[in-house]
Amino acid sequence: MTALLELHQACLGQRLQPITLTLRADQRVVLLGASGAGKTTLLKLCNGALSPDAGSVHWCGRTHQQLSRRQRRQIGTLWQDLRLVEELSVIQNINSGALGRHGLLWAIRNLLGPLDPNTCLELMHQVKLEADLLEQPVRELSGGQRQRVALGRLLHQRPELVLADEPLSALDPSLAEDVLNTLLLLPGCLISLHRPDLIHRFDRVLGLRGGALVIDAAPDTIHRDQLEWLYASA
Amino acid sequence: MALRIGLKPALPLIPLLPGLSLLGVLGVLLRDGHGGGLSVLQQFAAGAVQPSIDPIVLGSLLNGLQITLVIAVMSWGISSVLGVGLGLLSSSTFWEILADVRWPAVILRRWLAPLRAVHELVWGLLLLQVFGLNGWVAICAIAIPYTVLMARVIADQVDCHVSPAIPVLKGAGATPWAVMLTGLVPPLAEPISDHIGHRLDCALRSALILGVFGLGGLGTDLSLSLRSLQFQELWSGLWLLAIAMVVLDRLLRTLRSWSRMLILLVAMAGPWVALGWGTQLDLQLAWPVAEWSMVVGNLIDGSQGINAALEISWPGVIGATVWITLIAGCVATGLPPLLLLVWPSQASLRLQGVMWGALRLIPAPLTALLLLMLAKPSLALAGLALGLHHGGVMGRVLIDDLRSRGLRSAQTMKTCGATNRVSWLYGPLADVSRAYLTYATYRLDVILRDTAIIGMVGGAGLGWQLMEALSSFHWWLVLWIVLISAVLTLLGESLGERLQGSWNSRAMAL
Repeated sequence: MTALLELHQACLGQRLQPITLTLRADQRVVLLGASGAGKTTLLKLCNGALSPDAGSVHWCGRTHQQLSRRQRRQIGTLWQDLRLVEELSVIQNINSGALGRHGLLWAIRNLLGPLDPNTCLELMHQVKLEADLLEQPVRELSGGQRQRVALGRLLHQRPELVLADEPLSALDPSLAEDVLNTLLLLPGCLISLHRPDLIHRFDRVLGLRGGALVIDAAPDTIHRDQLEWLYASA
Repeated sequence: MALRIGLKPALPLIPLLPGLSLLGVLGVLLRDGHGGGLSVLQQFAAGAVQPSIDPIVLGSLLNGLQITLVIAVMSWGISSVLGVGLGLLSSSTFWEILADVRWPAVILRRWLAPLRAVHELVWGLLLLQVFGLNGWVAICAIAIPYTVLMARVIADQVDCHVSPAIPVLKGAGATPWAVMLTGLVPPLAEPISDHIGHRLDCALRSALILGVFGLGGLGTDLSLSLRSLQFQELWSGLWLLAIAMVVLDRLLRTLRSWSRMLILLVAMAGPWVALGWGTQLDLQLAWPVAEWSMVVGNLIDGSQGINAALEISWPGVIGATVWITLIAGCVATGLPPLLLLVWPSQASLRLQGVMWGALRLIPAPLTALLLLMLAKPSLALAGLALGLHHGGVMGRVLIDDLRSRGLRSAQTMKTCGATNRVSWLYGPLADVSRAYLTYATYRLDVILRDTAIIGMVGGAGLGWQLMEALSSFHWWLVLWIVLISAVLTLLGESLGERLQGSWNSRAMAL
């Protein structure tokens, strides 16, 4: 399988030590590490929100600066703080996932009156959001509902690789299970979690400690002691 | 089953929609345009890079600038101190803490409202008729409406920042004054001192406007230079003014960074320092004697009042005023976000910061006179002139808000593959849209009051009629026009408050 994302000795100040890593399509990868270990920084390097101080990050052989719009939308991100457009409704937020496929006129049309409600309803059904929330402003939703709107937006983007930053935090167990199942159905993903108990649902485990990549292995080869050390204070 | 949803513009799109009015305004300008003033306008532009450095001109301009600064600082200081006091007295919270009643606040607010509804320029021209040319006329003309405006803002802020600790403190048996000091003052210190700081900039611009209409200071110099087409002299004055505004802005920012309360102390001490400074200048600061006889003599005959009211076609005059306000409001609100959408970048933010600064710097009447060099007078032209000036204020508000919130949301959209323009539309512009619209509704009130200035230049609306009535000492007509203007402004305020309510947040009326 071809490599989608390649990091070569990519580092960022004190936050992330040089990391070399290759992510392939159809691979489900979990990223573990204590708070402050550098998980969010690594995900931001992967989606191009941050640029490395040294080393390189390539998507399909190109740096983020060289990516076309079509290539940029192949990387989808589920941000920890969701980053929804607070002033818009559920349908308009979900539609914003498709902005990479359309131009300014489509974007304005979506603000004038939401487009393609049927597709959005299907996506809402997929992420278990009630249909009557379609035109509800997102700022009036609960935390769990907002999380699912963000997931709906991500699905509408149709990415080849999903980067998700602690997508299960602040969700009840049943909802967390639903969200995880939806993410694992996508072509490929790199998900940061604080749930070592879930590693067997993934193909590969990455572990960060103090900004360094200290674990990169299949889940069944990882010992419990390694996970405990990952979360132990330095 | 296919689902259809009707058109209903989302909030992030609404700030852009007024920008469409520019198409109509440009159409009118093209229709009314004449090339006659093009060479004059070129000379005006050339004057910006070659201002006069003649020592006599600079000396005169410096003297004018000092007079304007003295008027601005004195009116700002007086209105800030009185405004804070009146603001507390006209807040419901204050009276509820003090005596468990609200009615004194309601009565005081209603009494004060008409004073605020009359533009400072109108106050200036009225006081000028009674007291003659005197520094105090300009100072009081600004201080009266500013005090009442400040009182309204302070009262709104006090009532919006009701601390949940207040009932607890009252329940614990604290005295009303102790409750106010503990539960009311701390959360208010920051917004009030910020607002007081902002009003200095406004006072400076008002002092300049009064000067344009002959009340002395730099405004008079600028007006004379423009009317005699001495653009190099005009630009020397504008550059001096720009320097003064930047220095004042930096000074206030520095004071704010040290301690916000310092601004209140400066506002209290400022008038005394300015008074001492003013006596050294060519500015009459002896307390003037009122000459009421001419005004009162004219008003004694009540039958003239009815005749005066019938002299004007009110629907036409009011319609012109409202039309100018709408055009100016649309231009001022729509232009800044539209320009950002056309060129969304950090470089654009910086360049537009300079552009909005320049538009704020040039008083609206001078902008109108400059535009008259390109096109025949019309309501659209008057609206454009006023809109460009207030666009300078709205542009600054937009840029400040974007900078304080950050541009992270644009990056989020870009990572989804959205174009740069769409990323800004769904990102930073969407983030600030609610606050921007709330501020725009407040600005509409200010624009409505400012139509008095443009009317006087543009030959339209209530401002023009007022100028005519004052020139002919027709005091009954003056009274009617001021009354109608005040009612119109209060109606505008009421409409603005309803709109603010619909944006679901109250404006910090800067």
